[in-house]
Amino acid sequence: MKITPKQYVESLYQSVHNKKDSQIKSVIENFVKLLVANNDMAKADKITCQFIKIWNKEEGIVEAEVVSARELDKKIVKLLNGYIVQLSGARKVLLKQKIDKNVLGGVIIKYEDKILDGSLKMKLNELRNKMIK
Amino acid sequence: MSITKDFIVEQLKQQIADYKSEIKEQTVGRVIEVGDGIARVSGLSDCMMSEMLEFAVGKHTNSHELQKVYGVALNLEEDSVGAIILGDYTGIKEGDEVKCLKRILEAPVGEAVIGRVINPLGEPLDGKGEIEAKKFYPVEKIAPGVIARESVSQPVQTGIKAIDAMIPIGRGQRELIIGDRQIGKTAIAIDTIINQKGQNMKCVYVAIGQKESKIASIVAKLEEFGAMEYTTVVLAGASDPASLAYIAPYAGCAVAEYFLDKGEDVLIVYDDLSKHAVAYREISLLLRRPPGREAYPGDVFYLHSRLLERACKLNEKHGGGSITALPIIETQSGDVSAYIPTNVISITDGQIYLEPDLFYQGQRPAINAGLSVSRVGSAAQIKAMKKVAGKMRLEAAQYRELAAFAQFGSDLDEETKIKLERGKRLIEIFKQDLYKPVPVANQVLIFYAAISGLLDSVPVEKINEFENGLNKYAENNGKDILKEIAEKGELNEKLEEKMKKLIVDYKLTLDYISAN
Repeated sequence: MKITPKQYVESLYQSVHNKKDSQIKSVIENFVKLLVANNDMAKADKITCQFIKIWNKEEGIVEAEVVSARELDKKIVKLLNGYIVQLSGARKVLLKQKIDKNVLGGVIIKYEDKILDGSLKMKLNELRNKMIK
Repeated sequence: MSITKDFIVEQLKQQIADYKSEIKEQTVGRVIEVGDGIARVSGLSDCMMSEMLEFAVGKHTNSHELQKVYGVALNLEEDSVGAIILGDYTGIKEGDEVKCLKRILEAPVGEAVIGRVINPLGEPLDGKGEIEAKKFYPVEKIAPGVIARESVSQPVQTGIKAIDAMIPIGRGQRELIIGDRQIGKTAIAIDTIINQKGQNMKCVYVAIGQKESKIASIVAKLEEFGAMEYTTVVLAGASDPASLAYIAPYAGCAVAEYFLDKGEDVLIVYDDLSKHAVAYREISLLLRRPPGREAYPGDVFYLHSRLLERACKLNEKHGGGSITALPIIETQSGDVSAYIPTNVISITDGQIYLEPDLFYQGQRPAINAGLSVSRVGSAAQIKAMKKVAGKMRLEAAQYRELAAFAQFGSDLDEETKIKLERGKRLIEIFKQDLYKPVPVANQVLIFYAAISGLLDSVPVEKINEFENGLNKYAENNGKDILKEIAEKGELNEKLEEKMKKLIVDYKLTLDYISAN
C-alpha cells in the first residue's frame, strides 16, 4: 500500500511528541531509513512542509503576517498579537511584519487562509465605489 | 451659484462622514497551478461546492485597479480546490490571490434579457448596452418535484407539418432533435421559435460551442421575422473557454425559470448538447477526474438529466407555467448508439430523428417518421389535429411498408395502388421550406384534403403548388373556416362539410386537374 506524506508526518509527530532531544535524533534516523526502504525519498519535501503544518496545529501555533505602511511600534505589535490570538484561538502567534507603502495607512492582517483588510487604501476604494453608485 | 456649490460640498462631507467601513474577514487562497481554463488553489478552507471565486489578476498596465476574473469551485480536495475559470485565464499566474465570494454562481434574469444576446454570465454580446437586470437566479437549481408538476396538456405549435401531425410536442415536454451534421437540426428549432409569435411563449436559444457566424445569421433571421421580441440568445461560442460552454445551458435554463415562476410558458433550445458533453469532458479531464466510456466522466448522465429535468409543466397551484426543452444532439454518421445520444434519448420524452438519406432525396425536413416518437405529446394535440393526424399517421406507416414491398413487383392490385398514390402525396405534403412555418388551421385543412381523398386527383409534383394556392384561396374565401378551426380546435360535421366545399371550389379554379 502507498503511504501518503500526511500519514508519514502523523506517525512521525506521534513518535517525536514529548520526547527528549537525544531520543528524537534516533527517531529521525529511523524515519529516514524507513523512507529509503520504502523508496519514498522523493516525498521528503512534502513531508517537511506537512510537518510544519501539523506541528503548528498540534502545538497551537499560528503564523501571521501584518502589512502596514510604516514600521509599527512595539506597543501596537503587542496589541495586534493579542488580537490575533483572540481571533484564531491559538496559543502562540508568530508574527511577521511587512512594510508596503501602497496600503497608505492602517494594517492588513493575514493568518492561516484568512485576511482582515483594515487598510486606508481599501477604505478609500470602498468609499469611491459607494460614491459612484 | 455659490449656494449650490456649498450645498454639494456639504453633501459630500456628510456622505464621507456617514461612511462607515466594516472590516470583514475574508478567506483567501493562492493559485498553485493553472491549466487550460482551470486552476488549482491552495487555502480556501471554507469554500463551498460551486461557489464563485474571484481571481485578482496581476496589475493592469495603465491603471492601479486589479482586473477581476471569476471562477467556480468544482473540486474540493483535501488541501486544494479545483476551479474552472470563467473568462480570460491567460493573465492568471501562480501565486495570485483568490477570494471566496460566499455566493453560488448566478445569472441575471428578467424582462431585460429578452431580445438580447448574452454570454452565460449575463454580459451583453450584442452591443446594445448594459443589461439592467433586477433579479439573479442561481445557475444550478434542483428541478421541481412531483407535487408541483402535472401532465402535459397544451400543444407547442412548431409550425412544421410533419412534427405537428406525427410527433406532436406538448408544453413542458422534452423532445430531442437528433441527427448528423448539416441536415437541418437547428433549422427545426429556429422554425419553432419563429412560429411562437403570438402564441404566448417566451423563447431561449442556448448556443453551445457554435460558430459565431452561424449565431449572427440566426439572430439576423430571428430579427427579420420579429422573433427577437420574445427570444433570448445565450451564447458560448466556439472560441470561448470550455467552462463557459459548460455553464451555458444551466444559465439559459435560469433565464427560462424566471418566466416559469411568473406562470408563463417558455421554450428553450439547447444547441447542442454533444458539444456540451465534450466541454464537460475537457474540464473533467483537466481536473483529473477519472475518465469512463469514450473518456467522458462518470457523471455525464447526471450532467444532462439534471438539466433536462428542469423542463416541466407546473400545476395551477404552482403558477401553471411550463418549460419545453428541445435539446439537440449531433450524431457521427448516424450512430445513435454512441454514449451521449443513448443517454439523452433515455432522458427525453421522445426524439425527432433526422436522416441524411431523406435529406439528400429532397425530403426536407428530413424527419424519419418511423424512428421518431413523442411519448407524451399526443395528449396535447388539439382535437381537430388529432382527428386528421391519427388517420394520416396510419396511412403514412402503411405507405412506408408498401413502398418497400412494391419495389419488387409490378403487379399490384387496385387497392394497393391507391394507397401508394396517396402515400406519395402525404410525403409530398410533409416537405416544407425553411423559415415557413404553417399555422395549425392551415395544417388541418391540407391534412383533411389528403385523408379524405380530395388530393388524389392532384398530380404528385403539383402538390406543393396546390397547397400554397389553397392557403391563399382560403385566406381570401374561407377565413371564417380557418378561424373556427384555430379557435374551437374541434372538427364537427358542419365544419368538415365547409372545408370540403372550400377545397372542391378551389380545385375548380385550377386547370391542371382533370375534370373527374
